[in-house]
Amino acid sequence: MIRALFSAASGMNAQQLNVENIANNIANANTTGFKSRRAQFQDLLYQNMIQPGAAASQQTIVPTGLQMGLGTRAVSNEVIFTQGDFSQTDNPLDMVIQGNGFFQIQQTSGTLAYTKAGNFHLNNTGQVVDPNGNLLSPPITIPTNALTMSIGADGTVSYTLPGQTSAQQAGQIQLATFANPSGLNSIGNSLFQQTDASGDPVVGTPGGQDGVGTLLEGYVEQSNVSIVQEFVNLIVSQRAYEANSKVVKAADDMYQQVNNLKQ
Amino acid sequence: MDQISILAASAMRSSMQSLDLLANNMANASTSGYKGDSEFHTVYTSEAAEADATELPVTLPMIQRRWTDFTQGLLEPTNNPMDFGLSGKGFFVVKGPNGPLYTRNGNFRMSPDGTVTTSDGYPLLGQNGQPVKATDPGQTLQVAPDGSVSQNGQPVAQVHLVDFKESSALSKQGNNYYQNTSGQEPVDATEAQIYQGKVEASNVSAAHGAVRLVNVTRQFEMMQKAISIANDMNKEAIEQVAKV
Repeated sequence: MIRALFSAASGMNAQQLNVENIANNIANANTTGFKSRRAQFQDLLYQNMIQPGAAASQQTIVPTGLQMGLGTRAVSNEVIFTQGDFSQTDNPLDMVIQGNGFFQIQQTSGTLAYTKAGNFHLNNTGQVVDPNGNLLSPPITIPTNALTMSIGADGTVSYTLPGQTSAQQAGQIQLATFANPSGLNSIGNSLFQQTDASGDPVVGTPGGQDGVGTLLEGYVEQSNVSIVQEFVNLIVSQRAYEANSKVVKAADDMYQQVNNLKQ
Repeated sequence: MDQISILAASAMRSSMQSLDLLANNMANASTSGYKGDSEFHTVYTSEAAEADATELPVTLPMIQRRWTDFTQGLLEPTNNPMDFGLSGKGFFVVKGPNGPLYTRNGNFRMSPDGTVTTSDGYPLLGQNGQPVKATDPGQTLQVAPDGSVSQNGQPVAQVHLVDFKESSALSKQGNNYYQNTSGQEPVDATEAQIYQGKVEASNVSAAHGAVRLVNVTRQFEMMQKAISIANDMNKEAIEQVAKV
């Protein structure tokens, strides 16, 4: 009896986490470069009342046994790295990665973080920075008197100076890929950090043979959250929560009846 | 105790176990690849009672064994290229710590060295018995419905899908794994297909669960009433019949 209560409680916990995850996805529906997460669940260990394959008599074995499951648990909420929609901004520092790559961001602590959000800016010294002021790595500086700047599909950043006809090269944007991007650690501000699970970054040049993807200038990548999908998940999750709470109620009622046996 | 009470108490115990199974099903309504459990009720007859044919044998209802409903779950699109939704009868084979484990949860990931593993890190096995391993870890794998895995247009491996004559005989290990404790030999699955970017949802039906929940609680209530009645009868017998 207590098993039923705790199994149902674990189901309610799991669905609560599911709803929390959906809430975060919906809240970030308009976050540039946001990648939705999906909660994954697993069943818990089974209590063997009768072991399958145990000897039922000298000649026969128990064909299926009696195993009581003990509920569920959330195992992960993995990031789904599908491409989001592109929206045109005409800002030369807005970029979209068409492919698997990540921009490399130099954090103030010195370690590298990775992001899909390609909305970059210039700081007061002309360096390309993300919205939080962290430098793009490898660093790229545009002189403050530059008239125009452009970023090629291969990541080459160039600018023109007043009175000059030919463009100057400011640097080369490099992108990183991971064997298991789902294993990256989200640290907020649209940034990811590498972990043992994600593997080491493989850095390559956009548009080349490295398979990191190509760059598209003047666009930003919207989040890949599908509101319709999230709402459907929300309904399913809420109903599953309700169903589990009914099981708790039923277990409680049955318990009460047991207690009432003794009048 | 008298017979009615013993019978009713045994039925109450089975109802409780039914509720335990049901609670586990409901809790796993969102577990991908999960297959719902049901129970087989049977009656227990003691050998002594069977031998004595003159009297009505005393039989006790009890739950004999579990039975797993292996009907197909819905294939939910996730757009994650490492989700392999399994359609049709069959199991993925993964290399567990103590021999092969079987699963229908197609939520895999690529380890840094390119090996395709489950969320617990157990490698997915290919047709040749070796883990399925990508040649170029950073790049997306393509999986065809027949289980052939390729990368950048080059074949990499063939996912091994197996099936069992009696799938219910597999023992559930938790974490979505099954273990083969029944001694039957796995055979190659012929009708199973892999759909990339989809994951098989749990096959637990909420409506079915709700009906069974009502069923179990009402049955339990009836048995409780039976015990009450038996109690009353005993009481009457002791207090009224003996009154001279």
